[in-house]
Parts: sequence; C-alpha cells; structure tokens
Amino acid sequence: MAEIAVGIDLGTSNSCVAVARGGRVEVLPNSYGEHVTASVVHFSKDGAVLVGNAARAALIHDPHHTVASSKRLIGRYSFSEEVKKARAVYSYEIVDGPGHSVRVKIRDELFSLPEVAAMVLKEMKLIAEARLGKPVTQAVITVPAYFNDNQRQATKDAGRIAGLEVLRLLNEPTAAALSYGFGRGLTQRVAVYDLGGGTFDISILEIGQDVFEVLATCGDTYLGGDDFDDRVIDLLADEFVAKHGVNVRKDPYALEKLKFAAENAKRALSVEDEAEIRITEIAKSASGESLTLEHKLTSKEFGALVGDLVQRTFKVCDEALQQAGLVPRDLEGVILVGGPTRLPLIREAVTHYFGQTPRTDVDPDQVVAMGAAIHAATLVEGNTQDAFLLDVTPLSLRIGVAGGLAEPVIERNTPVPIEQTRTFTTYQDFQESVKIRVYQGESRKAEENELLGQFEFSGFKKLARGQVKIDVTFSINSDGLVNVTASDRETGRKASTTITLSSGLSAQELDAIVAENRTQRVATGGPPAADELEVLDESGMSLIEEDLEELGGLGIAPETTNNALFDREIRDLSSDEKDGSEG
Amino acid sequence: MAGITAAEVRALAMLVDELDYYQLLEVSRDAPASAVKRAYYTVTRRLHPDVNRDLPGAERETLESIARRVSEAYQVLRDGRRRQSYDAQLASGTGGRIQLAEAEAQAERAAVDHHMGRTPNGRRYFNLARGDIDRGDLASAQRNLRTALTFESDNAYFKKKLEEVTAALKSAPVQNPFSVR
Repeated sequence: MAEIAVGIDLGTSNSCVAVARGGRVEVLPNSYGEHVTASVVHFSKDGAVLVGNAARAALIHDPHHTVASSKRLIGRYSFSEEVKKARAVYSYEIVDGPGHSVRVKIRDELFSLPEVAAMVLKEMKLIAEARLGKPVTQAVITVPAYFNDNQRQATKDAGRIAGLEVLRLLNEPTAAALSYGFGRGLTQRVAVYDLGGGTFDISILEIGQDVFEVLATCGDTYLGGDDFDDRVIDLLADEFVAKHGVNVRKDPYALEKLKFAAENAKRALSVEDEAEIRITEIAKSASGESLTLEHKLTSKEFGALVGDLVQRTFKVCDEALQQAGLVPRDLEGVILVGGPTRLPLIREAVTHYFGQTPRTDVDPDQVVAMGAAIHAATLVEGNTQDAFLLDVTPLSLRIGVAGGLAEPVIERNTPVPIEQTRTFTTYQDFQESVKIRVYQGESRKAEENELLGQFEFSGFKKLARGQVKIDVTFSINSDGLVNVTASDRETGRKASTTITLSSGLSAQELDAIVAENRTQRVATGGPPAADELEVLDESGMSLIEEDLEELGGLGIAPETTNNALFDREIRDLSSDEKDGSEG
Repeated sequence: MAGITAAEVRALAMLVDELDYYQLLEVSRDAPASAVKRAYYTVTRRLHPDVNRDLPGAERETLESIARRVSEAYQVLRDGRRRQSYDAQLASGTGGRIQLAEAEAQAERAAVDHHMGRTPNGRRYFNLARGDIDRGDLASAQRNLRTALTFESDNAYFKKKLEEVTAALKSAPVQNPFSVR
C-alpha cells in the first residue's frame, strides 16, 4: 500500500503536523487534542526528554534544562549576533562546538542544534503515528523562505536524526500559498505575509490554476513575535527596577516568569483591548519582603512598543514587491501566516499597506503544515498534477574574490533548480592553490554575507597570474541546498563540496548521532494517563492569571510515560498492517 | 500530465547543449513575455524531477541538470534586458548559453549605450513601461514613462517613447469598462 508522508511545520514557538489523503487535508492533533505543539524541549533529571506544552511549562521551574526557540540558533555560527543575543536571553547553557558551531549543554551532555530540532520533529512524528496508526517515515518539512543554506542543511539533518526521510524542504510562505490556492483553480497574484515566532518572510506568488510560481521572496531571520515579547519584557523589567530597585532579569526563574507573562499578554491582546499582567512573589525586596509585578498593558501601549518592528516588516515587503516588479494594488489576495498575525495591530497595518483586507479564512497557525502535507502527498504519489511549485532562491550566492569582495554568481529570486558557472583566475604569479569561499547574502563586501563554506583547490599548472582558468560551478537544488564544484580547464581536475560546514555537524558526526539516536528519549506517545492530564491542565496556557510561583512546586514532567511501551505499540501496529495486507 | 521516459531523457541530454533558450522552451524568437511564461510552465512540468520520480537514478540526475537549464532559459527570456543581451549573443553566433551574471552585466552596459537610463529608478520605471508596452497596457506605460522622466528629465530616449505611447493612446483609446458613458 502507499506510504503516508506528512507535512511538518517546524516553528520557532510552535510546530504542527498535517496529512493529506483522499483529497482531504487534516491537521493531526497531539494526545491532548491540541493542533499545535510547543517547540520546546525539556530534559528531565532521569534522562527522559519532554516536548510540547508540558515542556513549555517546565521553562518556569527548570529553565536551565529546557530549550525554547532553538530554531533561532539552528545553522548559525557561535559568533553570530543571534547566538550572542540568545546567550543573554535564554537560561540554558549555549557553548561553542567544532568549527564555530553551537551546542547546547544540559547536565554535562552536549546536544547539537539539529539534534534538539530532531527531538521536536520526533514528537511530531510520534503524534502522526499515534493518529494514523502506522509508522511515518517520510515528511516535507517547512523552513522560513529566507533561511540560508546552513540553516536548511541543519534542518535536513534534524529530519534524518529524527528518523524521517525529508522529501523536500519547502518554504513556509510557499506552503501557505499552496494550502490557500490548492484545488480552487485560482488565477491571481498573492502576497504571503508570514510573521512567525522568530522570522519574518514575505513572498509574492502568481497562482495560475495549478501552478504556484514564486515571483519574489524576501525576509528577515532576526524578526519575529519573540522580539515583540522582548519589548514587553524590557518594559516590565525597567518599570520594576524603577519602582522597587530590583533587577528581575538577573534571576533566571523570574526572567522565565516574565517571558511567560509577556507572551501571554501578547496573546491576550489578539482578542482583548488590554491585558492584565500580575506575577506575585517575582522577587524579594532588600528587606526580604515579597514583591509583585503588576502592569496593565493596553493595545495602544503595545503598539507604541513594537511599532518600529512592524514597520520593518513593510520595508521588507517594499523590497519583495520591487523584486517582483509589482505594486500593492497588483495583488488580489493577502494571506497571513504565523501567530503574531492574529494581533489586530498587525492586521490593521497589513490592511493599510496592501490596501485590502487580508484573508481570514485560513488558520495562520496551521496553514503552513497543511500546505506541506499537500506537497508531501503529491511527491509520494509522484503526480504533481494537482499542484506544481516553482520556487526561487531567496539569497544571492556569491564567491569571495581578492580585496575582500564577494561577486554574485546566482542573484536572489532566481528560479530553482539552477546552475551557474563562472570562470576565475589566479592573482599571483605561480600560485599553487586557490581558496574558494562561498557566501550567501546581498552585500558586495564578503564579510557582510553569510559564509557557507570554503575549500582549497590545487593541482593546476603553475602559471603566471591570470593564466589559470578555473571554472566554479554553483548549483541550487529544489530544496534550496547549495553545491559547489571547481574544475581546472586545462587538466580537468575537479574538486567539489556540498557545503555542510555549519549545519554544525560533519558527515561523521551526523552518522554517529543518527546511530546513537538520543531522540529515542522523547517520552510521549498515546493519550496521557489521567493524573498527567490533571497536571497539564493546571499548567496550561490559561494559567498566567493564576499564581505563577506555584508552578515551581508542580512535578510537570510525566514520569510514567513508558518509551518501551510506545515502541512496542508501533511494532504491533505495523505487524497488524502486514496481516491486513496479506489477508 | 505525462512526464518523460528514460530514453527521452538520454536523447534530450545529448541535445541540450545544442539548443538555444528559445528552442529549449519551445517558443519563437519573437514570443511575448506571457508566452515565455506559459512555455516555461509546460516544459518545466514535463521535465521536473518531482513529476518523474519513477525514473532510474542516473536519468533522474540528468533530468535535474536539464531542469536547471530550463530555469536558466526562463530567467533570461522573462526579463527584457537580459533577453536583449542574449539575443545579441545569439546574433553574433557565440553560443546558445549565457551566464546570468554575464547577461546582467551586458544589459547594464547596453542600458548606458542605448540611453535606457542612467539612474536605477529611471531604468526601473523605463523597464516597467517596456513590460507594459509588451502587454499592450499603454496607459500604465505612459504613467511609468512619466515617472522615469521625473528621475531623468533630460533623457531624450524616454521622451521619444513617451511621445510614441501618447500618440498610440490617442489613436486607439483604451475602453475603461468601469467608466460611465
């Protein structure tokens, strides 16, 4: 029988899994009936790994062993701005790995970012398997359109570690457009405004019946709902210092409570005009008395806090429209993606910018996973009659040349797959080798771009400068992944690399990690026992108005979930499957 | 829609370096941008590795490289400036393939040579106007040319084009379906 492939939206804050079968697309809820699962990983003392909302709640009582927003770190160098910022904001320990990669240190154990992402993916895989009653081994995973090659490669590695064959890395806005336009026979140009937890993407697409052509995509991988939260946190913390002279940022537990409260206040503002923030016993005064943080956050105040961030998204929209050669009135639809787009503040600004009301008939939290599921189904069936995607590369691909410059070889918004060759030469007499550096980005200055990788090319004839002719071929496949080959025209000698440098893992490391399979520790599975449910209800999202400090005393990690039991369940189901097909 | 057979892939692979972009996309040399787009959709769908998952590994790889060439052809022919560079190269008989960066660089030089604009904005609106003329949207072409002239008020070539468009608009007024007659 046909294999089932799912679509997974691996988000900064939340993840979602969906399946398309029999002409229907459905989001698969987790064992608590929730359609989205928090992308938070909690490492409990006994070695079990917990993913989801229970892990999110663990941020409060055990922030040092709980990893949130790991997507902001995946595929980044340890010296990058984002990692520096994360070190200041997150309580878990972030350390340097080989080749300037990033590792998370939990109780003397090191985890690469692809491994942490793999734990979230494993959870999504288990959710799908529990709902579908059969093993799931293939998936389309979505990534922000503006992800560079390092980030894509790392995400693909995460899929492999989680035991998934990644059929395709699909750009999130493209997935959303697919979900919106699939099977509706539309002929229109649309914009997808995708503001997630950690990234912002805008894509302009032309939908022609069943063809989905991306005309342009632009983005900012340093801008998302998390940044909105940070503004609120800063406001609350500064106010608290002014009032009580105590800096709550210095206490990781207090900081987590603050983050939790800020995020929930933001959510509340999606439906209410104001949000009451109250955290009792967040700190102690110099005289030892318990202090309470209180603030009434109004929509207006919030708007003033984040106004410049919202304006930044429209700068990016300007760029995308210009690249597509269009103006806002050329668009016939605007699709919103991502939790923060529920904010009235964002909806109004988007309406104003595009001169039209955005679509509200698609769920911004689920639309991406649904699109991924549709694509997964067409890929498995090998029949793309229903929907055919034509995507572009979001970032220019460059090669480093003398003088610290980076020459473009493939410009951004070029359709993929694509291959381009450029000829380079030596700049010194009798040079023995050249170093080929590959960058992604929009700056002429090499250092202002992301270094994807570098390799040494030698073995050509030593000649006067300018005499050697080296062809460097760059290709980008349909996943947006980059491959570079250099060859010497005279000898035909070749060297090539699929640039994997800063997925943070070498091929050997990846193999070792896959073999070790620490994602087995992800402790979840069938419906939770009644006593677990009770705990989780208490620690659910609505709890912010309650006394947060109580959480510290709650044992949130379910100790009873039995990994081995779940493994057996899977085996049993698959043997049932076999029996069924034989019968 | 049917894909392509392994034998066809092998035949096409031998041929692909001989084909110019027009032949690859199966369009005539004077095909308008809209026809280029339609042709790209048709050809790329038939040749796309996703559609042809049942092919043996070697042929799939070959097909992937052909698909890359099809994207390249589209990227050149969809854009008036790059297409002009390419046409010049074809006319000079120096090969049916042009590197995108090269097409871009040539277009830059040609733009200067042909008074197509000195400023980025002038060029941009002039190109939009040319696209409008290709599509027959003269009213929009007129607006874009006027905008281009605000950046380069002394560009004789822009003025000449604007006069042509204005004259054409007068002789064949565009029916506005929403106007009250």
